[in-house]
Amino acid sequence: MKLPYKWLLPLSLMLSPLAQTQEVDVQEIVKRAELAAYYAGDDGRSAARMLITDAQGRKQMRQFVILRKDREDGGSQDMMVFFSRPADVRDTVFRVVKNTDRDDDRWLYLPGLDLVKRISAGDKRTSFVGSHFFYEDVSGRSTSQDNFSLLDETDKQYVLEANPKDPGSVEFTRYQVSIDKATMLPVKIDFFDSKGENYRRVEALKTEEIQGYPTVTHSRVQDLRSGGETEMQFRFISYDLGLPDDVFSERSLRNPPRDWLELRD
Amino acid sequence: MSSGRTHLFATLIALAPGFAAYAQQNTDDGWQLGADSEQNSAQQQDDWGWEDDDWGIEETSAGLPVHGFAELALGRRTESSPYHDALSLGDARLRLETSYQWQEISFEAKAEGRYDAVLSDWRGRIRELSAQFSLGQQFDIKAGRQILTWGTGDYLFLNDLFPKDWQSFFAGREDEYLKAPSDAVKASGYFDWFNLDLVYSPEFDGDNYISGDYFSFFNPRAGGVIAPQPGFNAKRPSGDEWALRLFRNIKGKELALYAYDGYYKSPEALSAEGVPTFSGLQTLGASIRMPLGSGLFNAEISHHRSKEDGKGENPRIPNSQWRALLGYEQEVITRLTGSVQFYLEHTQNHAALLANSPFPDWEAEQNRVVLTNRLTWRNQRDDLSLSLFTFYSPTDQDGYLRPALDYRLDDNWSMSAGMNLFFGEDEHSFFGQFKDNNNLYGRIRYSF
Repeated sequence: MKLPYKWLLPLSLMLSPLAQTQEVDVQEIVKRAELAAYYAGDDGRSAARMLITDAQGRKQMRQFVILRKDREDGGSQDMMVFFSRPADVRDTVFRVVKNTDRDDDRWLYLPGLDLVKRISAGDKRTSFVGSHFFYEDVSGRSTSQDNFSLLDETDKQYVLEANPKDPGSVEFTRYQVSIDKATMLPVKIDFFDSKGENYRRVEALKTEEIQGYPTVTHSRVQDLRSGGETEMQFRFISYDLGLPDDVFSERSLRNPPRDWLELRD
Repeated sequence: MSSGRTHLFATLIALAPGFAAYAQQNTDDGWQLGADSEQNSAQQQDDWGWEDDDWGIEETSAGLPVHGFAELALGRRTESSPYHDALSLGDARLRLETSYQWQEISFEAKAEGRYDAVLSDWRGRIRELSAQFSLGQQFDIKAGRQILTWGTGDYLFLNDLFPKDWQSFFAGREDEYLKAPSDAVKASGYFDWFNLDLVYSPEFDGDNYISGDYFSFFNPRAGGVIAPQPGFNAKRPSGDEWALRLFRNIKGKELALYAYDGYYKSPEALSAEGVPTFSGLQTLGASIRMPLGSGLFNAEISHHRSKEDGKGENPRIPNSQWRALLGYEQEVITRLTGSVQFYLEHTQNHAALLANSPFPDWEAEQNRVVLTNRLTWRNQRDDLSLSLFTFYSPTDQDGYLRPALDYRLDDNWSMSAGMNLFFGEDEHSFFGQFKDNNNLYGRIRYSF
């Protein structure tokens, strides 16, 4: 008996949840999450500000504009971070070339000295400008550095466990990441130490759709041991601006591309 | 420090928050979070004003933004000097900065006033007053008083012949003050194959050299260490200066060629009348900076041609030199970075120099080697850094240690402390001559 074609559709839908749970391709989820979180659009611009609260409740602030351009989706990227606040880091510019085949190239421009200081490759799991965010939280941790497995799947989320391939290079023993199925954005990451204690949490507090790209507009890192935390908010976000390549160069350190840095939507 | 000076500084500090308030006029253009935001988020922290803050947009549209800092810096000699009082640094300083955008031109101004307790004098200085604009797609022009830097050395300068302020460096002022401003026009061009910077200074800008008012130094003609008061004034040449850099970055390798035509930046020469002066200098050089292993490697070379003493026979004019530098830096362990540099100064026509010198025993070695090491440790919160920079010359058997601590209390307050320690076998060697000036210093700064 030949089933009419239109019968196949409901049948396949009925089967699909089952089929998916059995055939969830963890690597595929991880790749899609990475693209959603760090490669939205061919380029992007956003203002960001951080509120850093230390364990004693003292507060600090950082504000900057990030420009990003992908050389290839999921591959190398150019990034520039232009600081505007607080006063002692105003006009400092941080430039990164994120490489897939070797260490990132990083430069810091110190306007008071007119110095383009190159920064040697370092541990990327260290504080980004005094906040609880790490460099790696801002630029993205390469998915090739961890082994992932599926812990749990709900209607809304995949929960993956990641174990570092090189445990000596990181301060965590493992981490758990929850990925929202609708957006494929990682919405919560819990880091665990060798004693199994959850000592650090990174989470998305708010996501918005901007130009069709789901975007985290408010996130937070908590140091669960000391109680310190940093919140980060994004505003004036736009994608696919057609940022020219030469914006990502030494020229922009000394002569910031004002047109792209204006705080307006 | 006398109470009068304390009052003065208190006044500066009291003024600063006023400027800060002027510079940060809040508006109601808050950025309310949606109702779906998490509890205990920042919006409950009205005292801090995160939500009421307008991202500083207002600042750019409400007249001139004013920033800057007030700083108190004090230093004293670690041992008594026959030439100077114990106080080696005493600054109460107010810096004001503003910028202005008119059409496509960016204006930048940085001015400061300070009371200098070492010289018992008020000093005012415009540190920067410049206009920057682009000419078409490929050229940038920056004209006026500005800070200029290039080259790959760490506290060693081969091809960077922009003015330095060694006095501030030795006294323990903020690193920023090692670079003195130039009054110049800088034209930068950006092309597919290379980029260039061309800097023209219509009037020679020399270093703020060690002249005696702050620190003593060795003078062979005086036969020993001297400290003339007030510091000696060298005769300034009337000519101009040109500096050129061609540079490009190929896959993370930074390559550069340099040229300079002007004068020695410190008064190493004597005029016919026996007055210290700056003789003519031309340099050509090259550098590379690139990742190597898990760190960064840099190499730089420079030929310094003494325009007025080509054969090295004139003892009153410095000889030509080759200068070479090799450097390597890497993160040794998390948050601890180490770097080493090997630096060589090869004096040409050294035999002629010795043959014609009135004091051959005190002339520099033909090959002077300086090794440097920098160790910098930052704490986990990234608000404390400890560093030690060491210069050591095995050929001169002298050196210079710079331990330093920087602590950032919050977004406004920061403090620093450190030492400048010179040692050496002889009092005529480069670092050894400053042995009487060993000092320790402390600084506290309010930024706004």
